[in-house]
Amino acid sequence: MSARSANVGASLPRLEAAGKINGAAKYTDDLARPFMLHGAILGSPLPHARIVSYEVRRARALPGVEAVITAQDFPYLPLGAIVKDETILAREKVRYVGEPVAAVAAVDRTVALEALKLIEIEYEELPAVLDFDAALSADAPIIHEQLRDYFKIFDCRFNGNVLSEQLVAEGDVDKAFVGCDVIVEGEFVTQAQAHAYLEPCAALAEVDDRNKITIWSSHQSINRVQANVCEALGISMSQVRVITPRVGGGFGGKMEATVQPIAAALALRTKKPVKVVLSREDDFAMMRSRHPARIWMRTGATRDGVLVAREVKLLYDAGAYCDDSPGVLAFGLYMARGPYRIANYRASGKLVYTNKLRASGFRGFGNPQVTFAGEIQIDEIAEKVGLDPFDFRMRNAIRTGDKWVGGQTVTSSGFAECLKQARSRSDWDRRRASPSGAPNGRPRGMGVAALAHICGVLGTSAIIRLAEDGSIILNTGAVDIGQGADTVLAQICAESLRVDVSRVNVVAPDTDATPYNWGTGASRVTYMGGRAVVGAAAAVKDKIFMHAAAMLECGVQDLELSDGGVVRVKGTDKKVSFFEISLRAHYGLGGPIIGEHAFVYDGEPFDPKRCTMIGFPFSNLGVYMFGVQVVEVEVDEDTGQVVPVAAWLAHDVGRAINPLAVEGQIQGGFVQGLGYALWEELIWDNGRLSNPTMMDYKIPGTLDVPLAIEPIIVEEHEASGPFGAKGVGEPGIIAAAPAVANAVAAATGVRFRQLPLTPERVFRGLIRS
Amino acid sequence: MDSAVLIVNGRQSRVSIDGHETLLEVLRTQLGLTGAKRGCNQGVCGSCTVLINGLAARACLCLAALAVGKEVVTVEGLERDGKLSPVQQAFVEAGAVQCGFCMPGMVVAATALLSENSAPDDEAIRVALAGNLCRCSGYVKVIDAVRRATTLGQSQ
Amino acid sequence: MPSIEFQRPKTVEEAVALLAGHEDSRCIAGGQTLVAMINAGLVAPKFLISIEEISELRSIENKDDSIRIGAAVTHREVASYVGLLGSNQIIREAAAVIAHPAIRNFGTMGGALAHGDPASDYPTAAVAADGTVEIAGAGVRRTVAASDFFLDYLTTALEPGEMVTALILPRASVGSAGHYLKFSRVDGDYAIVSIGVTLTLSNGVCTRACLAAGGLGSRPLWCAEADAALCDTRCDDPAISRAARHLLDIADPVDDVRASADYRRALLPKLLRRAVRNIVSRQDAERADG
Repeated sequence: MSARSANVGASLPRLEAAGKINGAAKYTDDLARPFMLHGAILGSPLPHARIVSYEVRRARALPGVEAVITAQDFPYLPLGAIVKDETILAREKVRYVGEPVAAVAAVDRTVALEALKLIEIEYEELPAVLDFDAALSADAPIIHEQLRDYFKIFDCRFNGNVLSEQLVAEGDVDKAFVGCDVIVEGEFVTQAQAHAYLEPCAALAEVDDRNKITIWSSHQSINRVQANVCEALGISMSQVRVITPRVGGGFGGKMEATVQPIAAALALRTKKPVKVVLSREDDFAMMRSRHPARIWMRTGATRDGVLVAREVKLLYDAGAYCDDSPGVLAFGLYMARGPYRIANYRASGKLVYTNKLRASGFRGFGNPQVTFAGEIQIDEIAEKVGLDPFDFRMRNAIRTGDKWVGGQTVTSSGFAECLKQARSRSDWDRRRASPSGAPNGRPRGMGVAALAHICGVLGTSAIIRLAEDGSIILNTGAVDIGQGADTVLAQICAESLRVDVSRVNVVAPDTDATPYNWGTGASRVTYMGGRAVVGAAAAVKDKIFMHAAAMLECGVQDLELSDGGVVRVKGTDKKVSFFEISLRAHYGLGGPIIGEHAFVYDGEPFDPKRCTMIGFPFSNLGVYMFGVQVVEVEVDEDTGQVVPVAAWLAHDVGRAINPLAVEGQIQGGFVQGLGYALWEELIWDNGRLSNPTMMDYKIPGTLDVPLAIEPIIVEEHEASGPFGAKGVGEPGIIAAAPAVANAVAAATGVRFRQLPLTPERVFRGLIRS
Repeated sequence: MDSAVLIVNGRQSRVSIDGHETLLEVLRTQLGLTGAKRGCNQGVCGSCTVLINGLAARACLCLAALAVGKEVVTVEGLERDGKLSPVQQAFVEAGAVQCGFCMPGMVVAATALLSENSAPDDEAIRVALAGNLCRCSGYVKVIDAVRRATTLGQSQ
Repeated sequence: MPSIEFQRPKTVEEAVALLAGHEDSRCIAGGQTLVAMINAGLVAPKFLISIEEISELRSIENKDDSIRIGAAVTHREVASYVGLLGSNQIIREAAAVIAHPAIRNFGTMGGALAHGDPASDYPTAAVAADGTVEIAGAGVRRTVAASDFFLDYLTTALEPGEMVTALILPRASVGSAGHYLKFSRVDGDYAIVSIGVTLTLSNGVCTRACLAAGGLGSRPLWCAEADAALCDTRCDDPAISRAARHLLDIADPVDDVRASADYRRALLPKLLRRAVRNIVSRQDAERADG
């Protein structure tokens, strides 16, 4: 590790921050192409219906309309990340209100919206399935009658409206519970949360003279967009290029196809560029949400407070289409044991189709739901055995070297340190011993919750090149959705080659120019992308050294990198610059210097002898990260309103490549978690969303959240990570809701097991108790 | 379609206005000023915030025809001599900028605040920015940025 | 979409004549509600009459027996107008919590009143302030008590061709105070329940009260019995409870995405108590200060 910290460990603002703050940054809707048309999408008015007929002639005839498409204009071309149950537009059936059924391209947005009104579609309404019980009942209407025939990338054990049934088990849970002195059991209910990124989904597609489509869009993965567009249109990846402009947030909702296939189809049809930008209402109604869930959990311990067993049964509501859902359920099952040494564990779950918009990945990926349940139960048990919530967690904490469910080794864990720091920085012991009421006399309480998550999954790669002038070109394909990937990867690259970060050209992710990266999700870009960058830099360094050795007439072992793009003979002043080396390579010998590194997550695989995994879609994932969050709340007992007062958030990040960026991710994730805990809920009325607007679906603003949100960075070196780093994109959100619920319990004596903890819900709970 | 002159960032610009067009649409599609964003088109999210006659305003709720004769300042008009304004610089340095989509509106709202109150306390900062939603930052570093701008003793 | 024609009259009379002369016409001031509705496709007026240049509508007049707030006065201007004292303080407090600063910078009194949304802030405050809405029609001005102006959801006493020209508040009597209490999910949201209270205390005894509640029906709740329940009392809890019961008797809340009807009913007595206690303790503090 270098002593100098100009790069790794430097709290640099985002490299592109100036352009974002002066209006120069271009997001998809800021782009325009000559003779561009505007697309608009017609959504289904019904939650479940057969499509009987289409009448589009009037729409097609409207002056200014250049294309109207429906499923009838395409052969059957299914798409879907895991189960291919979708098509570019609803085909034969509609399965949720808002499902795209038709699309138009017209000279402007006004004409496009007018054209939508002229499309007549006849539906035969079918009974809608709107909740778990309806979906699981014996005579439930079946949402996907052809589920059996869909292509699936794993054996998902489907049945009726159950899309996937999974089981993860270790030890002997039934026997273990018999031996427990203390058992708590409960059912928890969590809601659908909307991603509510500030930039609505958008795509601009243009076809060139070779019929190759270029797509600029708001996305989290150029490779997923490319794959989805190709599948939706039945074309080869060589015919689709995806480029990344600035992206205004994603949080998991822009990982899979949004409006790109439709924009591409309209561009192909009209031979003109077509831009599709969703209105906020359409974005709420047509796209995605977090999985609503029902969680049954039972946890058992000895009277000394040692955890012995946990059993979990999950129901996750996938909505109308599969998307990433089996992964979300699986991850929930995988993480529900929590960051504790619980030897006996059984988690089973069902993923259920309903006639609501599809549920997808959303920061936390199934973990927030189970952590809500699990961390409340930890507090309940701690209370029963008479242990402080921190002491109880410390007693059972996973440590470095322990095995996770499935047998993978926890290669680094700052969990114990997170517990220590969160406890001391929040002044937990003193404040719990003598809780200060609020100045207004309202009760206050503090709660703690812990989390575990992972950051290593799937494949990624990086290519580093030396430009002729010795500066660095970095191609990773890792999309910066605002979390700071461009900056962090540039810092890692700069550090690896001992150059200033300003000498690194971070190439905008572009499927023509950048190598494969699964996507920005699973908190993986710093860890996976960073490892690829380190590997590519090492390959470049090898080539640089070969040239330098020749130029300086020494062996490569005598050389070292020096600041500023310089290679030096150790202990001497003899040096040569990257510029000189690059000229030699380009014009003299060997050719341009290119280094690359590509890999799929290569941590320890699951151990089938240790753990039963049935219907589990993951083949490998890991590198565990931990966190502890303490929240203080104030409760207005007259109204049930819970006001967050302060928070202390300790996160185990391995190494903070950019502490400023890490803090921002922790704080932002936590506030999104406060939204999940207290205010946010998508509400349906007979299958139609009641609150698909920013007016009615409220995300927190400056006056709703405390200023005292203190991020605490804990660094326990992760040997496999770039400079010891792990990820931090998701953990901020994962423990917020249970920390708040535990704080409310401390303040009021009442335990709540349903989210969100709206004033009304808390009010009723306080009255009942 | 009517031809009209809008005063934007100190310059007179000729635009053609269809009655129902908002100032936001005209700025973005006719004047190439894409800094102000369309996040909700309902006046809730704040990412379209501009200054009209010095006051923070929702460009999505202002009909372009009614902006004629008023002084409009967008995020693009905050720089001086090609350099970020002190408020903008503070936002960059404080680490407030993540995805950036809310930032034009946010920094315009902060600029409006500091132009009438050069030393706001935390509560005043929060009130002034209460109408600017951000999904990335959790607001802490945004408030830090405005505080930083005030201690630099500058306002726009 | 058909275009919109704009006119910018200089007087109320011109504005009213334009309203009468054009079908599908509306007045627009700040447009904070109207343009949102146009954007959402809920309304499509062909003719908009901007009242921004009508000087009598842009001022707040402090007269001997009343305060007249012109229809084009913005929420920001109302919130910072120091002449709203005593019971009229309620109007300042309501103005200060409408939505967000950018909305307050341009949203107007007239626009808010004419919109008639019972979950918004001015209606409840105006009723509790015993305000009067001045209306201009063809050749005629008339006034309607605020408590009679709001008829139903988004429905007011305005007849076609009429416009709101002012909110008139009685001059605050000595010993009077006003308070607007808003309870919402998050800051800036529409109220779940809002309470407007104006009262006059004389040696701690309430000699006059006007109570209104929003969010509990299609119009702000008000009834003489609720006001009477506080009069001649020291605003103790039993008196407040009696007042709350009267208001509950006429409440007709609905379930919506913000809250259920039951919860709103449960909130009313608690928030009424809080609002009254706020005023009383504020008055006590002021008396103590001499």
